[in-house]
Amino acid sequence: MITLVRAAYSAFYMSMRLRVVSPFAVLAWLFFPLIFAVVGLYVLARPGTAGPQLVYGVLGGGLVGFFGVAYLDGGLSIQNERWNGTLEQIFAVPTPLWVILLGKVCGSILWGMLSFVPTIAIAYFGFHALVPHLDAGRFAISFGVLTLSMLAIALALTPLYALWRWALPMFNGFEFGFCILCGFMFPVTVLPVWAQGVAGVLAPTWATRALYASTTNDGSHDFGAWWLAAIGLSVLYIFGALFLYRLIDRRARMSGELALA
Amino acid sequence: MKRLAAEAGVFARSTYLQYVALFQWATIRGYIAYKVLLPVTQILFFVELGVYGTGRQNALYFALGNALQVTAQAGLYGVISTVGNERQFGTLPMLLASPANRLVTFLSRAIVNVLDGIVTVLFGLAVTVLIFGLDLHHANLWLLGLCVLLISLTTAGLGLLFGSLALIMRDAITIANVVYYLLLVLCGINFPISRLPGAVQVISYGLPLTRGVEAARQAAEGASITQIGGLLAGELLVGVLYAMCGYALFRWLEAYARRGGLQDAY
Repeated sequence: MITLVRAAYSAFYMSMRLRVVSPFAVLAWLFFPLIFAVVGLYVLARPGTAGPQLVYGVLGGGLVGFFGVAYLDGGLSIQNERWNGTLEQIFAVPTPLWVILLGKVCGSILWGMLSFVPTIAIAYFGFHALVPHLDAGRFAISFGVLTLSMLAIALALTPLYALWRWALPMFNGFEFGFCILCGFMFPVTVLPVWAQGVAGVLAPTWATRALYASTTNDGSHDFGAWWLAAIGLSVLYIFGALFLYRLIDRRARMSGELALA
Repeated sequence: MKRLAAEAGVFARSTYLQYVALFQWATIRGYIAYKVLLPVTQILFFVELGVYGTGRQNALYFALGNALQVTAQAGLYGVISTVGNERQFGTLPMLLASPANRLVTFLSRAIVNVLDGIVTVLFGLAVTVLIFGLDLHHANLWLLGLCVLLISLTTAGLGLLFGSLALIMRDAITIANVVYYLLLVLCGINFPISRLPGAVQVISYGLPLTRGVEAARQAAEGASITQIGGLLAGELLVGVLYAMCGYALFRWLEAYARRGGLQDAY
């Protein structure tokens, strides 16, 4: 067990070191969330805007950035391993693949959390926007649940990037789609009913709903149900991921195409 | 005349080769990901944000702005990655060593991206019409088409300027990301630029897209060429200035890269 923890920590440590020197990683936590926060605040923070709308401007950019890093960073790291010729070595080492990817994904999650720093700063200093009715306890729990759901999604998607080269551009192309369905910058209730149905199978949707509900006194506050839905779906993703890790282990050895760029 | 024909031949060959060799999305899956999914979901995202913030009556404002802004994907990412890919694939030193006319080579980097940008914006507009019911009955369609063509050219001009940096930078695509997303804030795509601070508005009017999007919005409402001619002329001027600055920078950085042996530094 200690060996596995040490291997995961090494993957985490190395991925964090690579992120610190990567200009794109800096864009991901600093620049992109800032842009979304500014656009969101200009659109949502108009004179006479209601409180709940404003909160979407304050936190929305950070959520988009957090999700973007968690969702794609694992894939980018797999792609980099492939391009650097180290992906096959990762598969060949005795440490299970999921342990190495868990270390990488934990790095992505921690890095993604940084997205809230610039967005909250620009909301406060640039737009004098505050979150006046914050329920700190429920907000903290909701954020914890959201982090778990991001971790589960990242763990489930990362093996797909290793299995299929086209998965990364495809998921990259649909990033905005996930942001719509998860309700990061506006509630999913504004979407058509069929889209709300699709949004319901995404764990971050429920966690985000709880997160925003903890910042306002308006609307329903079914925190227990939302947290349970997010945690339940996250557990399902992790089970799905376990299946994918087995599949990829078999497929990669059979096809021998793992290193093809 | 003979020389002109030779230059035209270089231009055509260069355009064709950069299309077949450097367009990474030229696969069905790549095209679906970057040219269908990404633009459509970007438009949907900002329209839903706008509808939530300002009401359904403003959906078309957001839809049209974002449909036009996706042109910059081709103009910026396309042009910048075209130069960047030469470097990554190891063909940049050969390109720089060739005796071909630099201006012809330089401009050929943009032409397929301009066409690609037009296709992208037409696709974006089609989505806008279908999903959000953009009413183009009163629109001046020829003028709207001219706006689309101009925006594609001017954003490619901006792309040429920043693409030149790929001669000496490894991560030029990072620059493309920065510029593309800054355009979302600075060019009146999702909110009027009059809401930006005064100094930032000056920057906005110094960028391509700002006047083009404003002109396109008016053309969609049925404005005539006399009403938006000034905006279109301004947009064209800005685009030409960026392309000229880009060419000057390209020549200067080419010499710099040659002196420092940076062409191969990947």
